Amino acid sequence: MTPWTVVRDGSRLIWRFVKMHPVAFSIAVFGAAMFAAAILASALVIGWITDNVIIPILDQGQEPDLLPIAAAAIIGVAAFKAVGIVLRRTAAGWLQSGTRRDVRNELLAHQLSLKMSWYNKQTIGDLLAVADSDVNQGTGVLGPLPYATGVTMLLIGTVSMISLIDPWLGVSAVVGLVAVIAIDVHGSWVTYGMWEEVQEGRGRVSSIAHESFDGALTVKSLGREHYVSGRFREASEALRDRLIEVNSTWTKYQVIIRALPQLLIVLLLVVGAARIDAGAITAGNVVTVAYLLSLLAFPIQLIGFVLWDLAGSLAGWKRVQAVFDADAHIEYGERAATTDGGAAAILGSAVDFAYDTEPVLTGLDLDIAAGTTLAVVGPTGSGKSTLSLLLARLWDPDSGQIHLDGRDLRTFAGSELPKEVSYVAQDAFLFDTTVRGNITLDAVFSDADIATATRLAGATSFIDELPDGLDTELGERGTTLSGGQRQRLALARALIRKPRLMVLDDATSAVDPSVEAEILMALKSADLPSTIVVVAYRPSSIKLADEVVFLDEKRILGHGSHIELLEASPGYAQLMQAYEKEARRLREEAS
Amino acid sequence: MSTDYTTGTIIRRAFMEAPVLRHGLRLTLFMAMAGQAITVVTPIVIQQIIDEEILAPTGIDMSGVLQKAAVALVALVIGVVVGRVALLRLVKTSSSGLSDLRSKTFGHIMRQSVLHVQAERRGTLVSRVTSDISTLQEFMEWGGIGLIVGLSQVVLATAVMVIYEWRMALIALGGVVIYLMMMRWFQRILAAKYDEVRHEVGVSLGVMSESISAIPVVRAYGTEDTTKARVASAMEKRFRVEFTTGRFGNILYSTAEIFAGILTATLIVAGVLIGIDQGMSAGTLVAFLFLTNLLIEPLQIVVETLEFAQSAASGLRRVIRVLDDEVEIEEPSDPEELRPGGLSVRFDHVGYAYPGGPDVLTDISLEVAVGSRVAVVGETGSGKTTFAKLAVRLLDPSEGAIHIGGVQAPKIPLAHLRDRVAFVPQEGFLFDDTIANNVRYGRTESDDAEIWTAFHELGLGEWVDGLTDGLETRVGERGGSLSAGERQLVAIVRAWIGSPDLLVLDEATSAVDPVLDVALRHAIARLTEGRTSVTIAHRLSTAEGADEVFVFDGGRIVERGRHRDLLKLNGTYAGLYADWASGTNSV
Ligand SMILES: Nc1ncnc2c1ncn2[C@@H]1O[C@H](COP(=O)(O)OP(=O)(O)OP(=O)(O)O)[C@@H](O)[C@H]1O
Ligand SMILES: Nc1ncnc2c1ncn2[C@@H]1O[C@H](COP(=O)(O)OP(=O)(O)OP(=O)(O)O)[C@@H](O)[C@H]1O
Ligand SMILES: [Mg+2]
Ligand SMILES: [Mg+2]
Repeated sequence: MTPWTVVRDGSRLIWRFVKMHPVAFSIAVFGAAMFAAAILASALVIGWITDNVIIPILDQGQEPDLLPIAAAAIIGVAAFKAVGIVLRRTAAGWLQSGTRRDVRNELLAHQLSLKMSWYNKQTIGDLLAVADSDVNQGTGVLGPLPYATGVTMLLIGTVSMISLIDPWLGVSAVVGLVAVIAIDVHGSWVTYGMWEEVQEGRGRVSSIAHESFDGALTVKSLGREHYVSGRFREASEALRDRLIEVNSTWTKYQVIIRALPQLLIVLLLVVGAARIDAGAITAGNVVTVAYLLSLLAFPIQLIGFVLWDLAGSLAGWKRVQAVFDADAHIEYGERAATTDGGAAAILGSAVDFAYDTEPVLTGLDLDIAAGTTLAVVGPTGSGKSTLSLLLARLWDPDSGQIHLDGRDLRTFAGSELPKEVSYVAQDAFLFDTTVRGNITLDAVFSDADIATATRLAGATSFIDELPDGLDTELGERGTTLSGGQRQRLALARALIRKPRLMVLDDATSAVDPSVEAEILMALKSADLPSTIVVVAYRPSSIKLADEVVFLDEKRILGHGSHIELLEASPGYAQLMQAYEKEARRLREEAS
Repeated sequence: MSTDYTTGTIIRRAFMEAPVLRHGLRLTLFMAMAGQAITVVTPIVIQQIIDEEILAPTGIDMSGVLQKAAVALVALVIGVVVGRVALLRLVKTSSSGLSDLRSKTFGHIMRQSVLHVQAERRGTLVSRVTSDISTLQEFMEWGGIGLIVGLSQVVLATAVMVIYEWRMALIALGGVVIYLMMMRWFQRILAAKYDEVRHEVGVSLGVMSESISAIPVVRAYGTEDTTKARVASAMEKRFRVEFTTGRFGNILYSTAEIFAGILTATLIVAGVLIGIDQGMSAGTLVAFLFLTNLLIEPLQIVVETLEFAQSAASGLRRVIRVLDDEVEIEEPSDPEELRPGGLSVRFDHVGYAYPGGPDVLTDISLEVAVGSRVAVVGETGSGKTTFAKLAVRLLDPSEGAIHIGGVQAPKIPLAHLRDRVAFVPQEGFLFDDTIANNVRYGRTESDDAEIWTAFHELGLGEWVDGLTDGLETRVGERGGSLSAGERQLVAIVRAWIGSPDLLVLDEATSAVDPVLDVALRHAIARLTEGRTSVTIAHRLSTAEGADEVFVFDGGRIVERGRHRDLLKLNGTYAGLYADWASGTNSV
């Protein structure tokens, strides 16, 4: 970064925003122009009143006839200026708040289009900081921008007026202004790097806060409140130090900029006095010029503010842009979903997959006929969830393909595949909305559909007992429900969609054995139009399956019926018989 | 809370909560004003140059001009330097004060009960310690200085005006007073509007953070459009409120301009009339008008910063409100420490209802003896998790009393209690850090060797050693880079490392594979010899080996006893067990 790139990148950024709301920007600049014109007019009016009203009346003893006109002129100009101010600031507010709203919407849309591999590397707190403080900071320059644009006009007008009065005065004014702006740009450049650190610091504060609130139960059950508070304090203090650094640097520039207009006036008076002495200009001219400059004191500072905000904006926007620059978009095809085709067959061939570099699945082949219920079994961390995620196309295989009824998952258009595939994750995620909203996810379903789905999921009885039944509001992530209740809602959410393929990743792990048995029976007898893939440990679930796949050592070690696998695969038998053996051991121990 | 959160109260509270804000404040203010006072010399000298030199009827004396110019410049430099020092001091105290306030607010939220923290959306809570505090920061750094400097400038300009021409000064002053009184009235409306803005900001961040967390579900169910719509509507609402509030503030601000016009016009008319009467020179009047400008400019800044101030006050109000929420799980006033060794747990007629909800637990009385291994089973939603949270004092009962190690639970200092008691919740939450650091949450001073040993003791050595980065493996947000079962393993080691005397496991192995589950259970049983453990599990193999089983149903304990005896009762437990046994029967 050089001072020049701050100006160049800054202009580009500003242009990007202005393009989004050209009308608001134009109105704001128009208001600023009105304001600038009013300032010039008020200087002229004051000069005119001095020369034609005050001096003639007071020093030359003329009658005060013009007094009312003078008063009216001043108030008129003030009213005009007020209108300009309202126009400018209101339109600038629209521009700034509107841009923030739009950028936030764009950000979410962008994040929704990115692959899980990107999402996997982010923290929610940091993404939240980008959407919140970085967007605010990034668009900070829009606040004073129209004003500054107006001020620039004003400056040009003022300098022209001064030059018309006297070229030498004009030259001094130009030199002064150029000096001010050069100092501003320099300050902006110096603080840019510091602002970057400030924004990173804000991101960190937000991340720690989010994670700590998210994991509050864990923090509290371990009694680590002080520890996380200490962590937070550290981050907050680092942010504090950065803020102090950036602000103290800036105050250096600010005092110079505050002093400069006064300095300019003194300079002008000295030059002006010499010129009057030389008979080149009149005293009234110098008074007008001095007045013009005194009015400019604040606007000149404003240019400083814009450049200052520009440094902050560039730093904030850099982090926003980093999210926009993530281009790991999910690639969709053109295919529309076929929703009435009944259960769908799955064919996976030579699938390799790794989250990072460590392979999780290698050379996986899977051929499942339509309507099959397939159980996926394997030890902890063997890749069962990974396989489920691939089937629902939350991730894509690194090589090889997965076909649903002969169609590669990647050929489906956006939002089409979920019409055929429903996926229930291992950790049930519920939204902070009603029970109904969590099941339908805002799609249209009849009450009868909801009733059937909740019955199959074994959720009817507890929903009935909730204070408002289906319309009970749940907390974020469904905190007001028990673990098993949450899981059953997640299950109902999948069932109601009557998908052609249903993937259940250990979806009954938090449910007691009796309710689980009920759910399994219901699913079995419902004769769903679906192929079902269920990840499970309990033989009860597995025995309901037509086929079983045993995953271990990053691949499929066995595929067949439960009975076949018990014989063929010792690893599988060990998993399936662990509890039985334990029960036997305990019985023996007891007797 | 019936506290009235007026802007005045709020500011006083902020000073109380973050006393750093007050440090050297007087000196800072004095310096800011002194700096301002000195800089005011410059315009006065400028006036004199105009009045006595440039407009002098006798013609211009260049040496006089230069002399005065030199005085003006010296005053300017001194004023500016003093002003900067004041500014710096203010920046430092305000940043430090706000950082303290931020940490304090965070600490307070963390001390609240789990229920309290989870009752609000994460994003909204985060906004309390980020954007609400940022509005304050903005105000302190821009507005605060502007307000102080501006106000002192108003005072100074008025003083100079009085000395210069007291009659006119009186008129100006009268005008300013009337105007400021009007402003005060409008400020109240503005304050209410800003409260609304801060509220919508909190809501929109809550919706945003939920939507970001939900990305996997959104993707799986193809609900991208409804999610975008939900966020868009929250953003739109926020935008509307921000915009209308801003517009109101702008109209308010613009009145300062009209006021300035009226005041200037009045002064000219009055000046001329006084001048005709009592012989005021044109020079004096013109000079006075310049002084008026010195009054009006800071006044405009003051009006503008008052708007900032309202926004900041709204942010502050939200922060103070958090600080004023009482901590439900309080530290004891007459603490009593636990005796060393195993801990017992006793419930006497305990009842519990979540706020505003029905009774979830009713009349629970039980005793878990020192060193016993107890299992809690029951239908989902029967209150097992609630029971566990009560037993480790994450919640306080609505009725009845709980004793841990023979001491009333509310009397045990919390840090001490957490040292001795470990609870592993149903959801294995991990922090976005390495495995080793996650385990250290259980015991800060553990070194890598101890952590490694703990994994091995529990029979998980093979698993950690199998990871490419071993203990240094990063687990991702919420532990998302591990499988669900692996997360639970880490959570168990984390609780284990603190060698708790009471271990409460709430479905802590629900996602772990059966072989590992059984092995882990054995290891824990072997290692907890003499210590007390309470295990909640739907996998009834836990109950089979337990010293006592408590069977929950609809918030009551319906059966209790050893596995064998319970089976004979042929009741709830026998039913559950039959389903479990047929479910685990491999053939
Ligand atoms: N998001 C991720 N990023 C990186 N690695 C991951 C991620 N998710 C899982 N892994 C790793 O991939 C492997 C397989 O994980 P997966 O979640 O598929 O296991 P699983 O069979 O479902 O286990 P469990 O029975 O515990 O649920 C594990 O070693 C895990 O550490
Ligand atoms: N934070 C909360 N606010 C209101 N109600 C709650 C809250 N947490 C739980 N409940 C309700 O209290 C009851 C008991 O819940 P609890 O979590 O103790 O059940 P559980 O026996 O642990 O069930 P599971 O086996 O499914 O985990 C449930 O009906 C649940 O809906
Ligand atoms: Mg899994
Ligand atoms: Mg529970």
